[in-house]
Amino acid sequence: MEYYHSPDSIKDALSMAREFDGNFIYFAGGTDVQIYRKQKLEKNEHIIDLKSIQDLNSISMKDEVLSLGAMTPLDDIIKSKEIQNYFPLLMEAAKSVATPVIRKTATIGGNLLVRNRCTFYNQSQEWRNGVGSCLRDVGDICQVTGGNNDCYSRNVSDTAAALIALNAEITLINSNEMTQKPLKDIYLPCGIKFHDLDNKNILTQIHVPFRPKKWWYKKLRVRKTLDFTSLTIAATVDNDDMARICLNGVSMAPILIEESLDTLTIESLIKQARKNCKTVDNDLMPLKYRREMINVFLEEWWEYEHHK
Amino acid sequence: MTGAIGKPTPYIDAVQKVTGQAMYADDYKFPNMVYVSCLRSTESHAKIKSLELKKAEASPGVIAIVTGKDIPVPFGVLSISRDETAMAIEKVRYQGEIVAAVAAETIEAAEAGVKLINVEYEPLTEFFTPQDSLKTCTPDEQIHAHTKDHKNIHKTAELRFNEPEKELETAKHKQTGEFKFAGVTHGFTEPHSAVAMWNGDETLTIISATQVPHYLQKNLSKVLGLPLHKIQVKKPVLGGGFGGKSDPFPHEMIVSFLSKKIKRPVKCTFSREEVFITHHGRHPTEINMSLSCDAGGKITALDADIIIDGGAYGSFGVVTSYYNGVLLQGPYEINKFGFRTRRTYTNKHQCGAMRGHGAVNPRYAVETLLDMMAHNMKMDPCDLREKNFLSEHSSTVGEFRITSNGIRDCIAAVRKKSDWDSRYGKLPYGHGLGVACGFFISGSALPILWNRYPQTVVHAKLDFDGRIVMFSGASEIGQGSDTLLVQIAAEELGIPMDFVQVEVADTKTTPVDLGSYSSRVTFMVGNAAKTAASNIRNEMVKAISKEKDTTAESLIFRNGRIFTKDKSLDITWEEGVEMAMAGRGAFVESGFYISPKLGGNFKGAGAGLSPSYSFGAFISEVEVNPKTGETNVIKVWGAHDCGKALNPLAVEGQIEGSIHMGLGQTMSEEMRYKNGQQLNANFFDYRIPSSLDTPDMDVTIIESNDPEGPYGAKEAGEGPIHPVLPSIGNAVFDAVGVRMMELPITPDKVLKKIKENV
Repeated sequence: MEYYHSPDSIKDALSMAREFDGNFIYFAGGTDVQIYRKQKLEKNEHIIDLKSIQDLNSISMKDEVLSLGAMTPLDDIIKSKEIQNYFPLLMEAAKSVATPVIRKTATIGGNLLVRNRCTFYNQSQEWRNGVGSCLRDVGDICQVTGGNNDCYSRNVSDTAAALIALNAEITLINSNEMTQKPLKDIYLPCGIKFHDLDNKNILTQIHVPFRPKKWWYKKLRVRKTLDFTSLTIAATVDNDDMARICLNGVSMAPILIEESLDTLTIESLIKQARKNCKTVDNDLMPLKYRREMINVFLEEWWEYEHHK
Repeated sequence: MTGAIGKPTPYIDAVQKVTGQAMYADDYKFPNMVYVSCLRSTESHAKIKSLELKKAEASPGVIAIVTGKDIPVPFGVLSISRDETAMAIEKVRYQGEIVAAVAAETIEAAEAGVKLINVEYEPLTEFFTPQDSLKTCTPDEQIHAHTKDHKNIHKTAELRFNEPEKELETAKHKQTGEFKFAGVTHGFTEPHSAVAMWNGDETLTIISATQVPHYLQKNLSKVLGLPLHKIQVKKPVLGGGFGGKSDPFPHEMIVSFLSKKIKRPVKCTFSREEVFITHHGRHPTEINMSLSCDAGGKITALDADIIIDGGAYGSFGVVTSYYNGVLLQGPYEINKFGFRTRRTYTNKHQCGAMRGHGAVNPRYAVETLLDMMAHNMKMDPCDLREKNFLSEHSSTVGEFRITSNGIRDCIAAVRKKSDWDSRYGKLPYGHGLGVACGFFISGSALPILWNRYPQTVVHAKLDFDGRIVMFSGASEIGQGSDTLLVQIAAEELGIPMDFVQVEVADTKTTPVDLGSYSSRVTFMVGNAAKTAASNIRNEMVKAISKEKDTTAESLIFRNGRIFTKDKSLDITWEEGVEMAMAGRGAFVESGFYISPKLGGNFKGAGAGLSPSYSFGAFISEVEVNPKTGETNVIKVWGAHDCGKALNPLAVEGQIEGSIHMGLGQTMSEEMRYKNGQQLNANFFDYRIPSSLDTPDMDVTIIESNDPEGPYGAKEAGEGPIHPVLPSIGNAVFDAVGVRMMELPITPDKVLKKIKENV
């Protein structure tokens, strides 16, 4: 297969990225991207599969900071005793992704950068031709809103919600440098360009420095497995009673609400969440219900948090 | 029974299926085979203004392109609604309808050819709801020219007995409900696939994933203008049907036509999206139903007005229209009974037959009304049902002959196992139990195409090697009919099952069977196979008793030996075979099944007639989260009267499969459309319950021993689905006090009802 490449170092991967500039995609498991290829939503020819880069598949704890290689399969995360014991929120989130078989291939890095979804975009080419395509594809309007400026496709990463609530940072490597930044900062409120990483950077590590006092996680979906989220909420509270509540699946990017429990009220929490989530009718679960569930989930967390 | 009958028996094709050796239609490859890809309409209802093929014809690897005008003869499984052609002619009636087919050296070349075809459409008024189709339109807007009064109504079926409407007008205890059901599809694993070959002797062979080789043969003959004797239809191993492969299909016409035209083998295999587009699943349905009882809880009348959304073509729709009504005549005695079903054409994927054909949605309605009635009259829902069951050896108001009937044993079993009496109505809020019953035909007593032949014929062949080969046209679609043939021959002849092999579903070598639909195979093919095998035995008995000078009656066939009770004669099977064949060689015996004359003399009397009916009662237990509306089905107890379980393993599998399929329609499955375009034409978005969503199942097989079924057997493949859906709906009521009148029962609908109820 001339189009399939499996470098065994980051350096080689970046060099291939330069060689195939503009005509390749990275595989970080590929369970989702393969479907984009099949549906002709991904037309780049070359695949640079990162699975052979050994350094990227690891789980380690040092000075109470959890470090995950970006290519660590979700299944390994679920089965890791350290994560089960110290980061159960991450374990729950990883466990809620896809199915056991997919989780053996799908990786944490892949899930953090999973492509945004929309009922009118994630379809076959014939289907999209039938409806007249959309802004994110080759059309000129949004099939959901009828508008011609904004795409509202949803970020559906469950692990992003958990890791943002856990205040995780990520390491990026490009040919010149290694940078570290908060995970939440990479996401953009845009359905077309939903994160700021370009192909010259490779996400290599995820670092979780923070072990919350309390955590809470819930995912809304039709079936108990397989389905992408219709609403995911991950919440943490630290020793200073600072709450970090992250909502995903209801907007173009994960929405983080960070506030002290001393000042936060359920009313203000719901108000902030509803204001920040640009939720439109682009999921098979009805829009009204998904919006309603934002309130219900937050109320449930609130009750859990205040339950003595 | 001393042999294979009645014992849990793994399917004879199980090993080849799980080891990947089984040959499905798409596994067949032939030298010089070409591949077909279809151009499908992007419009729901439009005239084809122009169709430009030149670029595609010149595309590398393209061998031939055909369009609707090349194959203009209409076809359809029912002779009364042959309204479909292999490809659209002049206009398209649904999004995804085939407009042209490209045959090429490779599938990639065929797909590339498709992309080069230019079609220009002139849009016509689109009809997406049955309500739109019930209205008068201009002749130009009619989906089909043959519909009456300038409306898009395909069929109106109506029967009335003893003026139910009058009873309902004055009834003191009356329940009325308006119900709405989304369309659902079969979700079989193997996509449609067919490969056709034009043979050197000017005959056609087609290997196709079909449940109905016989009807395919008939329709191919008509469409291609070929005599029946020049067409061979072979059904290979099939990866599920559930009614979704029981029509003749456009792609079967296309590959056959092309193979004749280009004299090469031609294959077409659908993508999953094309399978969804092809559909033929359960009709979206709206039902307005009323039911009345006397003060004692005896049902006095039932009336239903039903609208079913047929999509663009007829398929089994005329039968579906009748089944929506007539199959409400049981399992309860209802003497004042009526219904009207209107099937509309709409510009969507066509609907047809699906497990429990036509009767699943009205069953939900009537069982919900009975639950409402019980609640209103402060009666136990099981007690109310028990007051109304039809008796054994009785008749319904529409003259269905009821023979065996194990419904009382069914309800007693699930009532006891679920601990209903101490738990129903007493569980905490959010937790509930629900009950429902059902019944279904064991094969339609009338053939789809009227003729004077039996409904099935089975040949049994005995040869020098001692092997019995059962020749049957019956289509194994995963329900276990091949294994059944083997079990029956082994039982009749007292030999191990490995002495018996099958040759099946090949219209050249096997005698006609009408197909695997309407739950007919166990009853009809079973009876024919039993006769064929026992005729072999009779021939052997004649020869052995003559040679060994014993009386024919004294011979026992058991465990591979043939002996008399006193063992004065005790020979091996092989020795018996040698005696039977002496002077004549291998021989074939035949058995057939033809249904007795049944039913009344009124118009529509034939719909739903069956030589026997299965019965069942199910109880479901659910948990509902009142804050989110999420419903979790925890356990289902199912008891089904299949007469006699010839293969209890298969019966159990059918009941479990019915629970799973019923759960899907109840909770999550739905053909979702926007402007005629399906939003979820894939297995990711079309939400079939996963193993985690599937409840614990407790299956009870009730054996009422039908007087006419083979060894007492009746159907078990479709009947068990009917009670599943309403038992869940009724359990939701017990849990949170709301009536779910619309399927699927998604969390948003439950939550809305709970809020309205406060």
